[in-house]
Amino acid sequence: MPEILEAHHISKKYGGVRALKDVTFTAYRGQVNVLVGENGAGKSTLMKILSGSEQPTSGEILLDGEPVQLGSPREAQARGIGIIHQELSLFPNLTIADNLFAGRELRRGGRFVDAAAQRRRAREVLQRLGQDRLAPDTLVGDLPIGQQQLVEIGRALLTDVRVLIMDEPTSALSNHEVDVLFGVMAELRRDDVTVIYISHKLDEFRRIGDWVTVFRDGGLVAHESMSRTDTGWIVRQMVGRDPDSLYARNSAPVGDVLLDVRGLTVPGPVQVDDVSLTVRAGEVVGIYGLMGAGRTELVETLMGMRRPSAGDVVIRGTHEPKGTVQARMAAGLALVPEDRQRDGLVPTMSVRENILLATLARMTRGGLLNGGTEQRTADGKVGELAIKSPGLGALVTALSGGNQQKVVLARALLTDPVVLLLDEPTRGIDVGAKAQIAALMADLAAQGFGVLFISSELAEVMAMADRVLVMARGRVTAEFTAGSVTEEALVAASASDSVLEATK
Amino acid sequence: MRYLPSRRAFLAVGAASVLALSACGGSDDSSSSSSSGSSAAPAASKLIVIITPSPDNVFFKAEQEAADAQAKKLGYETLVLSHDDDPTKQSQQFDTAISRKAAAIILDNAGADASVTAIQRAKDAQIPTFLIDREINKTGVAVAQIVSNNAQGAGLGGQEFAKLMGGKGEYAELTGKPTDTNAGVRSKGYHGVLDQYPDLKMVAQQSANWDQAEALQKTQTILQAHPNIKGIIAGNDTMALGAYAAVQASNKKDIIVTGFDGSPDVVSSILKKGIKATVLQPASKIAEMAVDQADAYIKNGKADQPEKQSIDCVLVNPDNAGTVKNFAVAGS
Amino acid sequence: MTDTHVAAHRQAAAPPPDAPRHTALARAALLLLRGRTLVVLVLLVIIFSSISSEYLTQSNLILMTKHVAINAILAIGVTFVILTGGIDLSVGSIAGLASMVSGGLLFKGLNVPGGTIFFSVAVVILIGIVVGALVGAVNGLLITRFRVAPFIATLGMLYVARGAAQLHSDGGTYPDLAGTEARGNTGFGFIGVDSILGIPVAVWIMVMVAAAAVLVTTKTPFGKRIFAVGGNERAAVLSGIRVNRIKISVYVISGACAALAGLLLTSELGAAYPDTATTYELNAIAAAVLGGTALSGGRGTIIGTVMGAFVIGFLSDGLVLVGVSTFWQSVVKGAVIVFAVITEQAQQRLQSTLTRRTA
Repeated sequence: MPEILEAHHISKKYGGVRALKDVTFTAYRGQVNVLVGENGAGKSTLMKILSGSEQPTSGEILLDGEPVQLGSPREAQARGIGIIHQELSLFPNLTIADNLFAGRELRRGGRFVDAAAQRRRAREVLQRLGQDRLAPDTLVGDLPIGQQQLVEIGRALLTDVRVLIMDEPTSALSNHEVDVLFGVMAELRRDDVTVIYISHKLDEFRRIGDWVTVFRDGGLVAHESMSRTDTGWIVRQMVGRDPDSLYARNSAPVGDVLLDVRGLTVPGPVQVDDVSLTVRAGEVVGIYGLMGAGRTELVETLMGMRRPSAGDVVIRGTHEPKGTVQARMAAGLALVPEDRQRDGLVPTMSVRENILLATLARMTRGGLLNGGTEQRTADGKVGELAIKSPGLGALVTALSGGNQQKVVLARALLTDPVVLLLDEPTRGIDVGAKAQIAALMADLAAQGFGVLFISSELAEVMAMADRVLVMARGRVTAEFTAGSVTEEALVAASASDSVLEATK
Repeated sequence: MRYLPSRRAFLAVGAASVLALSACGGSDDSSSSSSSGSSAAPAASKLIVIITPSPDNVFFKAEQEAADAQAKKLGYETLVLSHDDDPTKQSQQFDTAISRKAAAIILDNAGADASVTAIQRAKDAQIPTFLIDREINKTGVAVAQIVSNNAQGAGLGGQEFAKLMGGKGEYAELTGKPTDTNAGVRSKGYHGVLDQYPDLKMVAQQSANWDQAEALQKTQTILQAHPNIKGIIAGNDTMALGAYAAVQASNKKDIIVTGFDGSPDVVSSILKKGIKATVLQPASKIAEMAVDQADAYIKNGKADQPEKQSIDCVLVNPDNAGTVKNFAVAGS
Repeated sequence: MTDTHVAAHRQAAAPPPDAPRHTALARAALLLLRGRTLVVLVLLVIIFSSISSEYLTQSNLILMTKHVAINAILAIGVTFVILTGGIDLSVGSIAGLASMVSGGLLFKGLNVPGGTIFFSVAVVILIGIVVGALVGAVNGLLITRFRVAPFIATLGMLYVARGAAQLHSDGGTYPDLAGTEARGNTGFGFIGVDSILGIPVAVWIMVMVAAAAVLVTTKTPFGKRIFAVGGNERAAVLSGIRVNRIKISVYVISGACAALAGLLLTSELGAAYPDTATTYELNAIAAAVLGGTALSGGRGTIIGTVMGAFVIGFLSDGLVLVGVSTFWQSVVKGAVIVFAVITEQAQQRLQSTLTRRTA
C-alpha cells in the first residue's frame, strides 16, 4: 500500500500546551483515510499542518517520501494538497459557475473571462456531483446549505488535487447528498486521489473509509484498516472506554406531572399547531422531527421567548399565564438552547459569569455581588458537571463545544428548575461529551427533574428517551414509548402530516 | 387657477400700500407713497424674507428682531429663517423665498463665497437681496452690502486695550472660528494697533471658536502657561465672557478682558466693572437700514444707496455703557 | 548572520528555541496594549513637560483634571450605553438642556400662577439632573418600545434636546447665575468653581461618579446584566434578564451623567447658554473608545473610560499650553483616537491568539 503523505513525529505546542504529541500519521495513496477523535483531540491541528496553514513545532512532513516544507496554504496547494473546511467559504451573491472559478477565472485572449467555458466546466462538475438539474447560473445564496457544501467540494475538484482533506463535509448534507458525496469520493479514489476525511458520524464513515486513524488527547492512539474494525472498537479508542455506556438510559421511577401543555398554538413562518404534551417527574421525553417542524419554536414558547396565540401551560399543577421568561423561569422551567453561540453564551464574559448569569440576584450581600458566593456556586457546578476549563475567570469561548454546552446547562440548573428543556443538547459536540450529556440527563431524571429534549438523531432519541414525540409541520404526529419505537416509525411520522396513533 | 396667485398678489400690493400709508405716515420714505397701485413693482408681493445665522447668539437675534420689526412697521409680511451658518440650508431657504415670490431678502449670509450663487438665483428671479453684517466676495449681485466696519471697530478695540494695558505687558488673544472672515479681520485690526507697542507682548493666541465654554477652558490653560499675563483680548463677546469667568476663578482678578460685539451681557458686565470694554456693532441699526433700503427699492425699482456701505462701530466702556441698549448706543 | 541562523534551524528541524520567548513577548505586548491608555497618558505627560515647564506643575495638573472631569462624567454615562451595544449621541444636547433648565430656574425662577418661585441651588441641581434622566428615559423608550435603532433615536434626541434648550430662553443666555440671598438661591458656583482641600469640587464629583460607576459595573447584578446584554442579547433574554429594563436604565444613567456634566460646565461659566456642550458627545464617545470600550458592546471598563478622558483632556490642554494652532489640535486629537482603535484591534487579535494557544 503506497503511502503518499506522511507526518513524522509531529509535535505542536501552543504556548505551554501541547496540541499534538509526537504524532506519526500516514495517508495511503488512492485511499479514503478517515480521522476520528473527540473535539480537541488534535485532528484539526494536524490537518492545518498538512495543509500549510500551521507550522509544526517539531517533526517533518514527507510527500512521496520526500521531506517538504509547507509554509502556507498556497505552497500546499501547489503540491496538490487541497482542503475543504467545515465552514463554507462561498460568495452567496455570485453564481455557482462564478464561485467555482473565483480567483482562477478561465480566460479568453488572456484578459477576458470566458464565461461560456466556465459554465461548460461548471456543468461537468455539477454532473459529477450528481446535480445535473442544477443550472450553473444559479446564485449560491439561493441554494440549500447541503448543495452549497457540494459547490464547495466542486471547487476542490476543479483543481488538480492529489490529496484532498475534508473536514466534516457531511454535517449539513441530507442523506441523498451524502450518498452523492460518497459516490464522488469513490470516484476520486479510482482516479488515484488520496482523501483524508474527518468525521464524527460513525455510521457514515464506515461505509466509505479504507483506513481509520483515531486521535485522543493530542496523540494518535490507533491506526487500522477499516475492515478490521467495528463501531464499538472505534468508540472505545475515541473515548477510552466501552461504548455501551455512551447513551445512558434513564431508569428512574416516573412521578407526578410537572409540565402539562394543552393546545399550544404559535403563529409564524414556522408555526406550532395545537400541541399538547406532558412531562412527569423522573421522565425523559424526546421530541424528534426534521428541521422546521416547529420543535425549537415549541420550547422557546414554553420558555416565554415567543407569544402563543392559544393554549395553556401548567407547571407543577399551577397555571402560568404571564408567559414571560422571568415568570416561566420562576415557575420552574429552564431552557438549554439549540444554538449555544447565538442564544446561550455571552462570548465576552468569563466561564463564571456565564454560569451565574441567570441567578446573579442570589449572589449578593447588601446589594453587591459577593465574590466568595459567586466563586463557590460556580465552582460547585463546574465540579458537579465536570466542566473542563482553564479557570473560572477564562473567557467562555476558550472552552470546547461540549464544555460550553455544560456551562449553559449549569446556568439552567442554577435557576432551580423542575423541568429542563434541552434543544439539541448534543449537536456539534464530540462523542465523549455526548455521552456525558446523556448521562447527565439520565442523572437529572433520577433526581426527580422532568427532562424534555429535542433531537434530530434517531439513535440518540431512541436510546435516551422514555417517550418520543414526533413533530411535523408544527403538530405532534406520533407518540411512542421506549419499548415500541422503531427507526422506521419515527422517520415515517416525521415526514407525515397526519396524526398517527401510537402503539403503546 | 393659474392666475389666482398673481391676482391675489395684486390685491396684496394694494393692501400693503394702504397699510404702509396708514402705519408709517411719519417715516422718512413717505415720498414714495405715490407709487401705491400705479407703478409696476419689480416683485408683486409684500413678503420680506429675513435670513440670519442662528439666533442663539444675541447679536443675530438682535439684528433679526430689528429687521423683523422694521419690516412689519413698514407694512410687510415677514418670514424669518435661520441658516445656522450652513450654506446648503441657506440655499434651500433662498429657494423657499423664490417660490414664495418674496419682495426682498434681508440676509446675514453663511459664507462669503458660498452664498453668491443663491443670491444670484434670487436676482434672476427678480428678488433683490440686501446683505447685512457680512459681505460676500462679489459685487453687483446683491443690491446692498451693509456691514459694520470690523476693521475700524477692531482698531478701536485695540486702542482701548492698549490704553488699559498701559502700553506694556503680556497678553493673550482669543480668536474666533478660523473659517469666519470676521475672525481674521478683527484679529488683524487688533494687531494693527497692538503691534505698534514694542512692550506689548502677545504670549498666546488660541481660537475658541466663538464659544464661551471653550474660551473658559482655554483661558485657564493659557493662564497656567503664562502666569504673568495682564490682559486678554477676545474676538467676540461670548469668548470675552468665558475668559472673564476663567479670570474670576483664578487668583489674578485684575486681568483686563475686552470683547467685541456689544452684547447686553458684556455691557452689563462693563457696568459692574468686570469686562473692561467691547466694540459695539450697530446690528439693529444695520438691519433697519437694510429694510428701509429694501422698502425704497421695492417702491422705486432701484437702489437709493451705493451697494457697499460700511457702518462704523462704537467703543463701549464704562463711560457710555449705561446708554447701550439692544446693540445700539444712544445718540450714535 | 540571519541566514546562517535560519539555516541552522532548518538542519536541526528542532523546535525553534525562541518559541516560548515569542509567547512571553506576546504576553508582554498584550500587557502593554491592555494598559495602552495609561502608556499614552504617561507619554503625553513626558512629551509636554519636556516642552513646557508649566505642564507638570501641581496647579496645571489640577486644572487639567478639572477640565477632564466634565468629559469624564459624560463619557462614564456613555460607557454604560455602549456596554449594552447601544450609542448615545444626545449627551451634549442633554447637557445643554439641563444647563438651560437649571440656569433658567436660577436666573428667572419658575413662573407659577400668582408669582415666581425660586428654588435653592440643591433643588435646582436635582431638577437639572432629573431632566437629563427623563430625556434619557425617552431615548430608552424609543429604543426598546418603538425599536428605533439607538444611533437614530439619540441622533434625533440630539436635535430635539438642543432645540428645546434654545427654545427655553428663545436663544438667549442666562448671564448671571449667582442668585441672591433674598431668593435663597446663592451658591451655584460651588460645584464648578470652588475647591475642597485644594481639589476642585468638580474633580471630587468626577471621582464619586467614577467610583459609583465602577461599583455598579463590577459589583452589582445590574452591572453584570449590562455586560450580558451587550455581549449577547438573546442569551441575556434566555437568562431571564429584563433586557428592555436594562437598556432604558443605561440611557437614564447616561442622561443623568450628561446633565450633571452640563451643570458643572454652567456653574464654572456662571452663565447658561443654549449651545453649552455642543459636540461634546463625540469627545465622550472618543474617551470611551480610547479606554477600550468596544462599540459592539459587552466589553469595556469605567476605569478605561476615565483614562481615555484623561488622555483627551491632557492632550488638548497640552496642545493649548504649548501654543499649537487649532487646526493641528484637531489633527492630533483625531489621529490619537484612530491610533487607539488600531491598538484595540491589535489587542483583540493578540488576546484571541493567546487564548487559542492556551485553550
